[in-house]
Amino acid sequence: MSEQAVLEVSGLEVTYSTNRGDVRAVQGLDLSVRRGEILGVAGESGSGKSTLAVALLRLLKPPGKVTAGSAIFHPKGRSPVDLLKVEGEELRVLRWSALSYLPQGSQSSLNPVMRVEDQFRDVILEHAPQRKEALSELIHRLLAQVGLEPRVTRMHPHELSGGMKQRVLMAICVALEPDLVIADEPTTALDVTIQRVILQSLADLRDDFGVTLMVISHDMGVHAQLADRVAVMYEGRLVEVGDVHQVFKDPRHEYTRQLIESIPRVGRRAS
Amino acid sequence: MTDKVIELRGVQQRFHARGTPDGYLTAVQDASFTLAADPPQVVSLVGQSGSGKSTIARNVLGLQKPTAGTVTYGGKDIFNLSRAEYDEYRKNVQPVFQDPYSIFNPFYRVDRVLWKAVKKFSLASTREAGEALIEESLKAVSLDPGRVLGRYPHQLSGGQRQRIMLARIHMLRPAFVIADEPVSMLDAQIRKMFLDILLDFQREHRMTTLFITHDLSTVYYLGGQVMVITKGVIVERGPVSSVMHEPSHPYTRLLLDSIPQPDPANRWTTRIKVDESPDADTTAAEAPEPRPLL
Repeated sequence: MSEQAVLEVSGLEVTYSTNRGDVRAVQGLDLSVRRGEILGVAGESGSGKSTLAVALLRLLKPPGKVTAGSAIFHPKGRSPVDLLKVEGEELRVLRWSALSYLPQGSQSSLNPVMRVEDQFRDVILEHAPQRKEALSELIHRLLAQVGLEPRVTRMHPHELSGGMKQRVLMAICVALEPDLVIADEPTTALDVTIQRVILQSLADLRDDFGVTLMVISHDMGVHAQLADRVAVMYEGRLVEVGDVHQVFKDPRHEYTRQLIESIPRVGRRAS
Repeated sequence: MTDKVIELRGVQQRFHARGTPDGYLTAVQDASFTLAADPPQVVSLVGQSGSGKSTIARNVLGLQKPTAGTVTYGGKDIFNLSRAEYDEYRKNVQPVFQDPYSIFNPFYRVDRVLWKAVKKFSLASTREAGEALIEESLKAVSLDPGRVLGRYPHQLSGGQRQRIMLARIHMLRPAFVIADEPVSMLDAQIRKMFLDILLDFQREHRMTTLFITHDLSTVYYLGGQVMVITKGVIVERGPVSSVMHEPSHPYTRLLLDSIPQPDPANRWTTRIKVDESPDADTTAAEAPEPRPLL
């Protein structure tokens, strides 16, 4: 098991200090992400799922603080590192190339005055200057992976719809073949058909290109459609983790059952 | 009060747009429907972004005059009302918008939104009566007055902010609520609470809601009537139960099929392709070679 793990989190504690005392946003969390899987992280707002993501990405800002635990990351061809301890240049090198982040609300994540191809160029040349030779082909191939046409390279972000922007970001995220992509609410606030296209593209990235994904979403429907395993967080704790079929069919925790049932189901499945 | 009826007749809304053949974009075409206050009902208008649904909300709220067709209230054109009639319309037709962040002025405490309503519509004659009314309305939307009053917008969660807008509506008791994507930024449990409050307003305070959304599962939860809009045209309408179970328009079927079902044994087996470029025809087509999603 641990041979396959790309990330092993153990005993993670994250605390936000407020003037009303400390809030323990993540408590005693143990979780491993296996290479090549799509791991869904579920929970409502305030459950600690986004805090988990930012802590792993080392984007946690004060008053948030990691108070205990480790997150051993196993990038290919490099020695394992503890994501919670790595600093400076070593952290900078890991980002994008081994660990990348697909943020929520991609509307504001692209630089509005740069063409799409220049945003790719920025990231790729910063981390892999040797790719300069065949850069255009690489960008076209990456865009094709997420179902976008080559003409998108010449466009500015304002010319793209929300779903297209999200897919451009997905393509940038996987540009350097990272070991792990952490996606925080990748389909929230998108229309259902666009959401379906994004979920298709995320599944393709795993199926066709072997990307390992950790997908954070409050929508149990998204996990049911996409994830291999689901981890459920409630009040900062991991209350359940298991195979997606098992979690939905036979949830071990009462809260998981409530989360699944809180989704209004539409009666008919169109064929 | 049988005259409390909002009626749209042949509403068309065009905007100037570059890159279109005639220099115009038609956001809404020939939209006609009636919203009656008696009996109170929930009518959902469902469609994708760019379908024209928010433009219709703006037409109904009197924020945008349609380029053709009429919006009437009690038989009178709402863009041609006297000052007193318009105030009456504004009191009876209240909006809830999508973004629970931008509706508040960040420099003022959230109390101000509620006090503004008390003053503008003369809901209370004394400060004590106003305070009592505000407290009662906050409790009606399951907010603890002691925990929200005196706070600034950034100190409240999105769900709390959105419920303050509902408290405002509870104070005003309009005949109509025009809710434009009010829950799309809220998570599942808060969303359910918000919808339950709207249904409660319908039952207890006899309010009719026009609920605008892209999310069919919330439409299903609310029940009542539904209209499906795509490319500015209302393509299907009827009771939620029949439209959801026996959709007649292909677009409605596509929307229904695209809801992620919370059942891993029932995953999508076909792929869809959506042309999202802003100037393109936004119909989605089934891919010729269906393949399993996962």
